[in-house]
Amino acid sequence: MPMVLLECDQDIPERERHIYFKAPGEDSRDYLPAANAPTIPGTLSERGCSFCGAKLVIGGVLKDTIQMIHGPLGCAYDTWHTKRYPSDNGHFQLKYSWSTDMKESHIVFGGEKRLEKCMHEAFDAMPEIKRMVVYTTCPTALIGDDVKAVVKKVTAARTDVDIFTVECPGFAGVSQSKGHHVLNIGWVSEKVGTVEPEITSEYTINFIGDYNIQGDTDVLQRYWDRLGIQVIAHFTGNSTYDACRSMHRAKLNVVNCARSAGYIANELKRLYGIPRLDIDSWGFNYMAEAIRKVASFFGLEEKAEELIAEETAKWKPQLDWYKERLQGKKMAIWTGGPRLWHWTKAVEDDLGVEVVAMSSKFGHEEDFEKVIARGRNGTYYIDDPNELEFFEIMDKAKPDIIFTGPRVGDLVKKLHIPYVNGHAYHNGPYMGFEGFVNMARDMYNATHNPLFRLAAIDIRDDRALLVEEAA
Amino acid sequence: MTCTIESKERGGIINPMYTCQPAGGQYASIGVKDCIPLVHGGQGCTMFVRLLFAQHFKENFAVASSSVHEEAAVFGGTKRIVEGVEVLARRYPELRVIPIITTCSTEVIGDDIEGTITACYKMLAKEFPGRTIHLVPVHTPSFKGSQVSGYDEAVKSLVKTLAKKEQPAGKLNVFPGWVNPGDVAELKFYLDEMGVDGTILMDTGRFDSPMLPDKSLQTEGSTTVEDLQGTANAIGSIALARYEGAGAADYLKNEFGVPCIHSPTAYGIANTDTLLRNISQLTGKPIPESLVWERGRALNALTDLAHMFFADKKVAIFGHPDMVIGLAQFCMEVEMKPVLLLFGDDNGRYKRDPRVAELKKANLDFDMEIVCNADLWELERRIKEKTIELDLIMGHSKGRYIAIDANIPMVRVGFPTFDRAGLQRHPTIGYRGAMQLGETIANTLFAHMEYTKDREWILNTW
Repeated sequence: MPMVLLECDQDIPERERHIYFKAPGEDSRDYLPAANAPTIPGTLSERGCSFCGAKLVIGGVLKDTIQMIHGPLGCAYDTWHTKRYPSDNGHFQLKYSWSTDMKESHIVFGGEKRLEKCMHEAFDAMPEIKRMVVYTTCPTALIGDDVKAVVKKVTAARTDVDIFTVECPGFAGVSQSKGHHVLNIGWVSEKVGTVEPEITSEYTINFIGDYNIQGDTDVLQRYWDRLGIQVIAHFTGNSTYDACRSMHRAKLNVVNCARSAGYIANELKRLYGIPRLDIDSWGFNYMAEAIRKVASFFGLEEKAEELIAEETAKWKPQLDWYKERLQGKKMAIWTGGPRLWHWTKAVEDDLGVEVVAMSSKFGHEEDFEKVIARGRNGTYYIDDPNELEFFEIMDKAKPDIIFTGPRVGDLVKKLHIPYVNGHAYHNGPYMGFEGFVNMARDMYNATHNPLFRLAAIDIRDDRALLVEEAA
Repeated sequence: MTCTIESKERGGIINPMYTCQPAGGQYASIGVKDCIPLVHGGQGCTMFVRLLFAQHFKENFAVASSSVHEEAAVFGGTKRIVEGVEVLARRYPELRVIPIITTCSTEVIGDDIEGTITACYKMLAKEFPGRTIHLVPVHTPSFKGSQVSGYDEAVKSLVKTLAKKEQPAGKLNVFPGWVNPGDVAELKFYLDEMGVDGTILMDTGRFDSPMLPDKSLQTEGSTTVEDLQGTANAIGSIALARYEGAGAADYLKNEFGVPCIHSPTAYGIANTDTLLRNISQLTGKPIPESLVWERGRALNALTDLAHMFFADKKVAIFGHPDMVIGLAQFCMEVEMKPVLLLFGDDNGRYKRDPRVAELKKANLDFDMEIVCNADLWELERRIKEKTIELDLIMGHSKGRYIAIDANIPMVRVGFPTFDRAGLQRHPTIGYRGAMQLGETIANTLFAHMEYTKDREWILNTW
């Protein structure tokens, strides 16, 4: 079967290029969904903006940094309280959001003075904080405020601070993906190489493209510690601004999320000759493979096998308990992009779960190449899905569980399908061996929730009672 | 002892209390049946607001975006409105209203919304003959006002665009402001008890929607096109929130001569009394025995709490201005001391609000500070600098860490309240709202006494 034109898309036939149903014998040479293309207005697409790709996904994770958003208050409000990335310093990055609160007069007369004032105010309010990222937004980009000039001025006046600028208004690109790109390239060009780290091990890595969702970073940090590997910088889970300035000193870049942070790994290779190694951190098989790959780079194979054996012995029995009960369940992954290819084979190999539909908001065609290679036949692969397509796909694929965000989760509840938060997790972390047991547990609890069985019953119907008794 | 009202001194914001105007436009629009708003701006302006609604209601709402990309930002985006309207019309055959909500970017580039709507009507007439879809211009640049004024603007635009003078219909327009489904249910209960045929603008009652055996989706606004058209023929309008919907009531008065009362926001007993008297005055219907009973139940419950537990408790309140003022009045009814009130935008009318003037004139037995254009740092800073001592914080979930870190009991009220379960279902206005809010405050203080081992033994015998 080639590309699919859904019933709901009869009036927007260009959507056919974005939806693929994989049949046996086909591969991504034959069919590949178009991706990273402009959104059709009015479709109820689920995409966000490039500003949020920079601020909410990457920059805002830094645990010691003021996030100054130069624009109206909404951009600061909206990218606050929407993520679950804690830190080991009391979650500073979750607690605060800064805005220059641009008003009409600033639009008319320019917002540079306002920005300067707000930057000083923010440093004055929290004198212990010395680092800042400044973001432009749609209106400040349109009026052409010279943000870099303001940053220069403030830095000259306050010699103990360091400030990074991200010029990535919401309308740039077609999705949050553009924001990942802009922040990555900006950071490596302007900030990497400006701080020298203390080296404590001969084995050093940067761990790139992990944002410490519900403590993912901590789980993996324990593995690196046991291998004796020093992480120079996490980019950017539980990380500091200055740690990310010293990324040039690592011997290896280990990349988890290639979509949001592959750019910086490539640049670190180009500028500093640091090799890039991509891994998957979700799933037993993948995690073991990842540890082996990283360890063999440094000649730590023995330690790696010890670690894998120990972790497997500790967690495998629990995983198997869930596998037995999840075997054959159908799953849909309705998230941003990379988790499609990280998860589809992991849940199949380790849990016997079949992924029957997957959608990506901001993935590129190379992400679909990966996911179609790893994914099953008889599965839908969708780029930039919209709400009506969602209903139609759910009806065709009939998943038992959906990994998606809370809004779509609220929607599928009415369809009697349980959801697990595929962005921020229900009860994570989900990375690593123990994390994948958490993920399996959340899937089990979701698919065995008795309320969904009750929801299907119409109490006016006598036959329902009989069905109940028989069950 | 005085009441002072000032504005925040800082220019910038640390932890905003509100989001921007388009969010308010979207909230008003989802209250309309068979309506999908089209937000003309970047995709984040829609995606995050939908997420915000989902966080608060644990429900999904349909909002579309014109998805302004770079080309549209440079060369103008009106084509994307026409395309968006057509796509919506084709794919949603039941659709009857599309508010076109502007944002900062599209107001800065100066897209001609009214002209584009004319072009859209031409396109609709050609492509969809015999079908009527109402397009409503909603100008909500994010660099003016906040979600509060955006809501007001959208309600006004919907009424302006749709209201149509016909025969008097004998109905009462009720503009509750930005409230919860639980509050709408409370208002409907009063109208039913009084035998009044009312139109609630916007009727969000079905935002509290069921899981049904047939898997149907019932989460939607209940205010119809006919309801909006009929607002011009009502016997009167009651606006419960001066800054959220009162603009529409004023418009109906000026344009169609529909009498209008700005009733105090119905938090607490006295404000609810005024509401019922106002309904009675506009409709000629008496206040029934059943509501005297309701009132008495609330008084009975609150009397158990006021002078024993609530008296002298110092409270900070933040959120929408009408709600904050109403809650402050309620707090004083039960002998608490609302020492700090925070309004989150720079609307100059707050300082001239008659209710604020009354507070300034009143012989308060404590100092009350009102801060306009406030952010949540205004509260956090005062607590950290110990320039204020609080027994209770009342406000929405965005302020949760202030309470958590300072270990001050906090009652969630307003929008959004995503870190507590089910609050959207319960009234906070009316007699039942006062009773339930009072009891929530009491239980929050009781739990705090237990956690902090602060005279928790008092409750051994209560």
